[in-house]
Amino acid sequence: MKLQEGKQLAESAVSKALSAGASYAEARIQNTRSRQFIMKNGESQPSFFAEGYGIGIRVISRGALGFAATNEMKPRLVTELAERAVKLARASAPVLKRKITFDSSKAVRKKWAAPEKVKIENADATWLRKVLLDIEGRIGDGRAGVKLPGRFLVLDAELEEKYYVNSDGAEVEARLPRIGFFGSLTASEGGATAQRFLQQGETGGLEVVKRVRLVEKVEEEAKMMGKVLKTAGKPPTDTIDVVLSPELSGIAAHESVGHPQEADRVLGREGAQAGESYLKANSLGRKIGSVEANISDDPTLLHSMGYTPVDDEGVAAKKRRLIKNGVINEFLHNRATAREFGLESNGASRSVSFDREPIIRMSNTFVEPGDYSTEELTKEVKHGVFFKTFTEWNIDDKRFNQRYVALEAYLIEKGEVKGMVKGPVLEITTPRLWGSVKARSKNMDFEAATCGKGDPQQGAPVWTGGPETLLTGIRLGAR
Amino acid sequence: MIVLDLEALNEDAVSTAKRLGAEDAIALTARVRDRMIRFANSSVTTANHVEEAELMVYLTKNKKRAIASTSNLESSSVKRFVRDLFDSLKGLPESEYVSLPDRASKYSPSTLGFDRKLVEVGEELPEFAKTAISASLAAGGNRSAGVIDAGTIWYAILTSTGTKGSDSRTSITLNIRSFAEKDASGHGLSCSSTLAGFNPEEAGSRAGRDAKKMRGASEPQPGAYQVLLSPTVAANIVETVGMAASAFSVDAGTSYLVEKLGKKVADESFNLTDHGTVKGGLGGRVFDDEGTQTRSTPVIQNGILKTYFHNLTTAKKWKTKSTGSAGLVTPHGWNYEVGAGDSSYEEMVKEMRRGIILTSNWYTRFKNYRTGEFSTVPRDGAYLVENGRVTRPLKGMRAGDDLPRMFSSVQLLSKDREWIEWWEVDTPTLCPWMLMDGVKITRAYE
Repeated sequence: MKLQEGKQLAESAVSKALSAGASYAEARIQNTRSRQFIMKNGESQPSFFAEGYGIGIRVISRGALGFAATNEMKPRLVTELAERAVKLARASAPVLKRKITFDSSKAVRKKWAAPEKVKIENADATWLRKVLLDIEGRIGDGRAGVKLPGRFLVLDAELEEKYYVNSDGAEVEARLPRIGFFGSLTASEGGATAQRFLQQGETGGLEVVKRVRLVEKVEEEAKMMGKVLKTAGKPPTDTIDVVLSPELSGIAAHESVGHPQEADRVLGREGAQAGESYLKANSLGRKIGSVEANISDDPTLLHSMGYTPVDDEGVAAKKRRLIKNGVINEFLHNRATAREFGLESNGASRSVSFDREPIIRMSNTFVEPGDYSTEELTKEVKHGVFFKTFTEWNIDDKRFNQRYVALEAYLIEKGEVKGMVKGPVLEITTPRLWGSVKARSKNMDFEAATCGKGDPQQGAPVWTGGPETLLTGIRLGAR
Repeated sequence: MIVLDLEALNEDAVSTAKRLGAEDAIALTARVRDRMIRFANSSVTTANHVEEAELMVYLTKNKKRAIASTSNLESSSVKRFVRDLFDSLKGLPESEYVSLPDRASKYSPSTLGFDRKLVEVGEELPEFAKTAISASLAAGGNRSAGVIDAGTIWYAILTSTGTKGSDSRTSITLNIRSFAEKDASGHGLSCSSTLAGFNPEEAGSRAGRDAKKMRGASEPQPGAYQVLLSPTVAANIVETVGMAASAFSVDAGTSYLVEKLGKKVADESFNLTDHGTVKGGLGGRVFDDEGTQTRSTPVIQNGILKTYFHNLTTAKKWKTKSTGSAGLVTPHGWNYEVGAGDSSYEEMVKEMRRGIILTSNWYTRFKNYRTGEFSTVPRDGAYLVENGRVTRPLKGMRAGDDLPRMFSSVQLLSKDREWIEWWEVDTPTLCPWMLMDGVKITRAYE
């Protein structure tokens, strides 16, 4: 209902901005409702719910961008806000060296909703708590075969509704329900500890919990931690093969392919915060990996956390082949960067809230599947390590030098998975990583994640994923 | 622009809660005016103005607790919102619960950390950006990227036991990076609660100077080094100590400070204090989210852990008193202060036999919060020091350690300190340069 009330305000904001001198204007009403339940070591914390409702207005005037937002939805104030956005843009002129213009992407007029079977509105505190109690029932009091003195579980049911209109003719109405889980598990055994940070989620209704096997997955993770603490030995130090699981393939695709191929980074526009890129505008066509390195970003995947069929500039989003057969193939674009590259936007512009401007974001970034079965891929390995899950990770701000520390990892000898190894570290450059890909399985899987970017920060829901990916000639640890 | 009466909103929320039968109720409103300009390649990329307000309500009934926040602040919506929240209590279990204190407190706004001149700043931001960009260019940078953010926030609180108060804060920050050539970059910050304390020229110059000095940087040999952390880097690491000091983190198993109360957790030269309000502090307020008065809390004194951060609930569990650090769920710090040492920067560099100076970092991530094992990625100015002399610029490295070992190795602290708040430091921190020993530096396989 709220969204319907705001439509007229959005439309009048756009026309007011144009009459105040803007050459382009857009307005986005966003209504977000979130219900959350937290359980710490089996104890229920206060239930939490949040509502956010407001309008964001973005304009171009004299080649500069202005953005203004408020949650006081009074017609007079919204009109003032539209004028303020135009004034802000014009006031930037003394420091404007390069004018901002948008491409001529086709404006979408569409009403869309992510599919859901059991409406997200049914997720009350009682239901959220019951799911967490089910998890507790599997892992509390040593039931997973290991002491877990630290259990921090969060379940969140969120509904994001948007109405977007711009002066190029786009008009989009969206309904996006999501279920998200975060868990921090600390296992302890004989004075040693291990930690697992687990995120799961999909767009959809209450059915998501069963579809992602949430309760079973957390139990499996807890059991695994006990094995890590009790059985893991030292990882090898010589040159080996490494098999990255879907989870590791996904984080590597996200960090060292998705981020450096955001066109705003490539053009230096995130320089002060998230950084720039090791790639330049003329890097398209550069060979960066083996012919087996194929990485994509696809906002059209049903049920995905990054499901965005139309972006927040009113552009139809589509799958992007970021690296194709080892070659840099495509960047992620919004309408401004697409114009600079002489292209049309591929619909990567998103905002997480009415008070944040849309910026270039990944959606669901993954290594493309290959044609090996998991067993066939493992048989290819004479001497190697299988990285199944990770804990610590980071990467430099050009996205060139990265590190992944495994939690669950196994030795592979002569094509067979052997015992666990403790905390192997993959510290490697981006070309070396993707240049080492020898084969990929057809076993695809995805993890939910929150991608950080922007100032103020915008934590965007995404998926990361892929198949098992075989890397050859790898040295573990760091130099 | 926003004309909301925060106190009237609180009255509306608390009186509705009382009418419905809530035993305890807290209404906490915040109104924000945020103005920002961003630039890249020395050209402005966007200018923002955000005016928004939020109401947070906490209710209890029969030891059941619920919290909610809303930005939908029309009076009828607030009543509906509180009613929905109250109704949601029915399906909840009892939870860890402490009733609000009977004694009502009254709070007046602190004059610390508020500058009326900053409330209306907006049109000046492009000029500040121009000043910073020019200074960076003059100091040796070729191009700059940055953000200037001027924020004002007004708070008001009302509880069902009569505690009432208001407060406000202002801040202005510049974060600028200057680029001289491939892999040569420098970083500058200016963070102030007053317009007079804001110095975009100095921050721009610093970024430009480091960018110039970083030309020709090469990778270091991996190994253990003395590291001299700038206030920017040190504040990032200190913030993780603050997180570990929250009683909630301790209970949740995500703290290396478990069972460390009264024990040595750092070199005796290291002192960490948290201030609810403090001169120059860019954050905090006079009351916490439960209406308890905030204060100055010594967290680590002479290397000894003195307390965790507590709200009423965690304090009861730990049989102590609230430190005025609520967070209704998670207690936290407001403005950190690391005690000054007595060294100059030059004296610290002279003390280094084989060390690395780090001026900026990002992407600090933990392998295990319980043990404090982490790594972070240095960026911008980084320099090798040999026998007390800076010998060459460095790039392409990672620093890793665990917090207990790292803080036990503090060797020197500078007498000069800076306020730090930026993309990688959320909690404003007054921090010196810190010299530590034995920090592991690694490089990736190429």
